[in-house]
Amino acid sequence: MLNLYLFQILNGLGLGMIYFLISVGLTIIFGLLNFVNFAHGGFFMLGAYFCYALLQATGQFWVALVAGPLAVGAMAWVAEKVLIRRAYHLPHTFHILITVGVALILQEACIIVWGPIGKSIPIPETLQGVVIMGKFAYPKYRLFLILFSAVIGFALWVLLERTRFGALVRAGSESTEMVSLLGADIYKLFSLTFALGVGLAGLAGVLSGPIRGAHPFMGPEVLGLAFVVVVIGGMGSFTGALVGGLIIGLVQSLMSSLWPEGASLMIYGAMAAVILLRPYGLFGRA
Amino acid sequence: MTAFLKSKGIFGGMTLAVAAILVLLPLLLPSATLASEILIFAMAALACNLLLGYGGLLSFGQGLFFGAGSYLASLAMIHGGFGLIPALLAAAVAGAVLATCVGWLSIRRAGIYFVMLTLAFSQMGYFLAYTLSKWTGGDNGLLDVPRPDLSLFGIRIADLSSAGAYYTLVAVLFFAVFVGARRVIDSPFGSTLVAIRENETRAAAIGFDTRHFKMLAFTLSGAVTALAGALYAMLINYVPLDNIAMSMSENIVIMTIIGGTGSLLGSLLGAGALVTLGDILSAMWPRWQMLLGLALILIVMFLRGGLWGGVEHALDRFLKIREKGNAP
Repeated sequence: MLNLYLFQILNGLGLGMIYFLISVGLTIIFGLLNFVNFAHGGFFMLGAYFCYALLQATGQFWVALVAGPLAVGAMAWVAEKVLIRRAYHLPHTFHILITVGVALILQEACIIVWGPIGKSIPIPETLQGVVIMGKFAYPKYRLFLILFSAVIGFALWVLLERTRFGALVRAGSESTEMVSLLGADIYKLFSLTFALGVGLAGLAGVLSGPIRGAHPFMGPEVLGLAFVVVVIGGMGSFTGALVGGLIIGLVQSLMSSLWPEGASLMIYGAMAAVILLRPYGLFGRA
Repeated sequence: MTAFLKSKGIFGGMTLAVAAILVLLPLLLPSATLASEILIFAMAALACNLLLGYGGLLSFGQGLFFGAGSYLASLAMIHGGFGLIPALLAAAVAGAVLATCVGWLSIRRAGIYFVMLTLAFSQMGYFLAYTLSKWTGGDNGLLDVPRPDLSLFGIRIADLSSAGAYYTLVAVLFFAVFVGARRVIDSPFGSTLVAIRENETRAAAIGFDTRHFKMLAFTLSGAVTALAGALYAMLINYVPLDNIAMSMSENIVIMTIIGGTGSLLGSLLGAGALVTLGDILSAMWPRWQMLLGLALILIVMFLRGGLWGGVEHALDRFLKIREKGNAP
């Protein structure tokens, strides 16, 4: 019985790290660009499909793991250059409209290329099977997922807190104008941040591929989950995205052994509770 | 012409224009069913417009109220033996109650957080409908939704089984909602909403309880949206799970913004354009939503006032040219 809970807690951590990767991208983009990306779920889906396609083409999961997120990030970089940046000066309503448009195009394009029925993605051979720790056995891939996303999370923290790029992003979140006046190329910074944030969603898509597969209509659900995480953690906060992601992952995973049908429902219950107690989220600022 | 349409009176130009559209719509379109569908979505867009265009509140969770209205009215008719009018009333009341609950939580936050909260709560409704598959049919949808006769106090007034008869009911209800919405907008309540949209801090400083006003608008919007949902269920005799999905919220918001948020007529225009195009294009190319995505991007780039803004602009220019032509 205890083992079952340990199993679900580990599952929850893995799921939570995926949610963290999705929402931290959303949060970084919003923090610096004050731009709401409703296509975030669409780019996650693209990551999952790239994982499928690259595995089909090369047979190497590692290729998909590196090239998938890079490809998604590159597409976001192009989209930012030709489209997204033209909407920065407009109200949020138009951000939403333009990115909903992008999400629809991504969804339909995936259906055209890969068909309306979802694809399942095999777990890479080297990561198949279980790791045995005493009496307890745990799937290798899920363990890899937790460790790998923890490494990525740490690297991201270093990038944001310990490099010049990160300093610019954080300063830009406080005052874009000031950073621009101090001589930083703000448009280059915007493009890179957008590509980074969306690339993280792509990475989450690739990583969750072998567990959840790729499906053309997964975008909206993922977007909804990312919003829940951000509402719980507080928008614009790295720690908030991490804690919020883990809470949601754990709630979903633990509930799925207690009340499987209601697992998704409980997530939103948790969100409502946080909103009641702390309207600005756990780590948000008023 | 535009001045005529903008005239403030309840019985002024805009009301007459809508009445004329309601009469002409089934004659111009290939089927009365399509016309009913347009008006039902126009009703939902109008409720969304009331929030966005006048209160400045972008709700991305209107699908929750639409779906709840569909399910509630259908279940009341199937299991409760409700007639047409009680079922519609039940849906509207349920929509109002649900909107009050969601609004109570969501209106704590403004701007983009409000948008995210409404979206998240509508996703919650989606999963609830999915979980309660014993009642809602889950993924298969709720089948065999009846369309009862129109009757009052047990007296049968009309048989609605023909598409034309049902269109008449929908058109009458739409007209009532439209006139009602105009009254609300022109009332002190409506002016206060606009004041809150323009500057919430200032409206609060004057002494208005802004949260209270936003809640009321949200409740009203929920009731109208649920009514539209109930009418849609009776139109297609079926409640697909999609009625409460995020795509429904998305469609309602898209219709509202594409139509234009400056005027209630914009909602009718937006719903008309999207439903008609969807009807024509989906038969030609199943992936037509890709064109919709493209259209959204183009509208943000070139037509930010929406279709109604475009129509107004064109009319103004036309009139100016004519005036110039008439001048000696």
